[in-house]
Amino acid sequence: MTPLIDFFTDPILRPSTVGCMLMCFASALVGVVVFLRKRSLIGETLSHASFPGVVIGVFLSALLIPYSDELVALAILCGAFLFAFLGLIVLNFLENRLQVKADSALCFVLASFFGLGILIASRLQQSYPLWYKQALIFLYGQAATMTNMHVIIYACFSFVILGFILYFYRYLEAVNFDPSFSETLGIRSKRLDDMMFLLIVLAIVVGIRSVGVVLMAGMLIGPAVAARPLTHQLSHHFALAGAFGVASGFLGNYLSVVIPQGAYSLPTGPMILLVSSAFCFLSLLLAPRSGLITRYLRMRRFSFQCAVENALKSLWKGEEKASFPPLIRWQLKRRKWIDPQGHLTGHGKAAAEKIIRLHRLWEVYLVDYMGQKVEKVHRTAEELEHLMSPDLERELTELLHNPQHDPHHQPIPPPLPPLGPT
Amino acid sequence: MNPYWGQDFFGFFSVLFRRLTGQLPLDHLASDEVQLLVLMGVALSTVLLGTFLSLKKMTMMANSLSHTTLLGIVISYIIFFTPETDLSVNTGILFLAALISALLTTVLTELARDLLKLQEDAAIGLVFTTLFALGIILVTVFTRNSHIGVEVITGNVDALHPEDIRLVWVTALINFALIGLFFRQWVMTAFDEKLSFSLGVPTRALHYLLMFLTALTLIAAFRAVGVLLVLSFLVGPTLIARQWTHRLTTLLLLGMGFGLFASIFGVALSRHFLSVYHMPLSTGGLVVTLISIIYLVSTVLTFRSSRGLIRS
Repeated sequence: MTPLIDFFTDPILRPSTVGCMLMCFASALVGVVVFLRKRSLIGETLSHASFPGVVIGVFLSALLIPYSDELVALAILCGAFLFAFLGLIVLNFLENRLQVKADSALCFVLASFFGLGILIASRLQQSYPLWYKQALIFLYGQAATMTNMHVIIYACFSFVILGFILYFYRYLEAVNFDPSFSETLGIRSKRLDDMMFLLIVLAIVVGIRSVGVVLMAGMLIGPAVAARPLTHQLSHHFALAGAFGVASGFLGNYLSVVIPQGAYSLPTGPMILLVSSAFCFLSLLLAPRSGLITRYLRMRRFSFQCAVENALKSLWKGEEKASFPPLIRWQLKRRKWIDPQGHLTGHGKAAAEKIIRLHRLWEVYLVDYMGQKVEKVHRTAEELEHLMSPDLERELTELLHNPQHDPHHQPIPPPLPPLGPT
Repeated sequence: MNPYWGQDFFGFFSVLFRRLTGQLPLDHLASDEVQLLVLMGVALSTVLLGTFLSLKKMTMMANSLSHTTLLGIVISYIIFFTPETDLSVNTGILFLAALISALLTTVLTELARDLLKLQEDAAIGLVFTTLFALGIILVTVFTRNSHIGVEVITGNVDALHPEDIRLVWVTALINFALIGLFFRQWVMTAFDEKLSFSLGVPTRALHYLLMFLTALTLIAAFRAVGVLLVLSFLVGPTLIARQWTHRLTTLLLLGMGFGLFASIFGVALSRHFLSVYHMPLSTGGLVVTLISIIYLVSTVLTFRSSRGLIRS
């Protein structure tokens, strides 16, 4: 078991750790822009389109500059950039000029470019097996063989992306949230789109070394999705996505080293991606406001609250024999609404009267202001009575001129005496 | 002894012709012929499915499937695994794998979209990358080998087994039977899903069936040609044919024609490169590139002719 700190100090482990974190940071930032424009799948196509560039980069450097690892890395970057860009042009041409539907165009460009890459790679396979392997690394990503030089190159790219986003932040905000308004301000969304595509290409070029061509799309999407339920602010969205990116870059790389314990090598890319997807699902399930489980729990809590209040009401109406489920009895006791023998306390009586008062106020409101039939309002009021807020009650009392009886001629309990001196 | 050994592009066709007309003995299939038959079977299946997929704007779901079939295969191997089973061409495993991957992909993508309220593009992208990553990790952990994943994508035509021919053609037969049988319903859902649903067509069932058939075709083909080639076959020929016709049946036939053409020429070219330039090229990659070139040529041709039509 390798200690955690070694990943930042060990000269062999450090470049890959830092490299992965930088790459995932860059792609997470770009991912937010793409996610908000609802073009997440374009990353899938462009990352595959960059593969022939990688292979050609490897091929050319194998012929021209065989023994310089850093220059090979740079050649690969350039090749990937060129081909991803070419893929982008072809994609736009297909969609805009030839009226090919978006999904078909994405799929076709992906398959064609990737096929070209495979074709060139197979040419490499026999004559330069070593370089062939070098090219295949980019399919699933491999962080272990990174050097400090790689890290520096990728760090530069990441900072370029960060700088881009910081500089154009205002424009991004305007265009993403109100395209037509920003158009009237003179911001050309077309140009911003072009810039976004350039950013995607950059992020892909940076990312494929650690995540791999095949899974790059996931790295663009994952952190942005994970951050979305946690915030409504664009700046926080960027920051959180960046943090998720860095965390998945580190954890993925860490796990891919730690799990196999040296017996074999786990590909880094899939591991990073799994970590980032885990973040996504946790966030989608548990986010404080919109998570699936939190939403469900909130619903359950409200219906439990209703059940407790209904129990209290039935006690107040004198249905002493009513036997409640233990959980509700416990809750009634906890709020000191009933004593240990099960009788209503003074405190409980006040609380019950408040609910009854609200119920009857709502009934008056529904009959007088909503024109509902007297015999029908009870059911609606039965639900509305649980929505209690002091403000609402005061407003309702004033609106209805403090009525004394409900439509069924039942007395409305007086409001609770306000706390403190009056 | 392979009779195609050392033949160039034209020599390939002359040997093929003589083998077919009985001038050369046809006692067992040469590897080139196995390739040819497999590719042709794949081409027919995929063009049929691909046409409907692109009409329903679902080709990116096919892209999802092309990734997730790996996980389906891994899971069904884990379920079925005993030392005696012949894992390479066990039809039961392949069916199960197709079922698992189609269901997982479709259901999870829909859950992410409807239950977790994720926008559609992100839901698709998130689900298939996650499932694929899981597949790769599982393959690596179980085989202790990180090179298997590569062949999933590129395929390995040299490792083709005559059994693959049967598999691919049985799949093609299933595809043609299921689509041919309900052809009217398929066409209706492809063009107007809501209308056909209101007329009593089980559109949901057809949607799942289409995903299952695509997964099945992908799995039957992946050992031979890799998932990538299937993807190209799914969209390419249909796109090319679409430039020449507006009628669905013509589109299907023309697309299949282009698919078959690309497969035959791909195999012949691959032999040509090997014999003349001593360059062993990936047949899959060659066919994909061929399809793109055909698309390019077809675009240039139709671009001109359509402008000419407007002028006249």
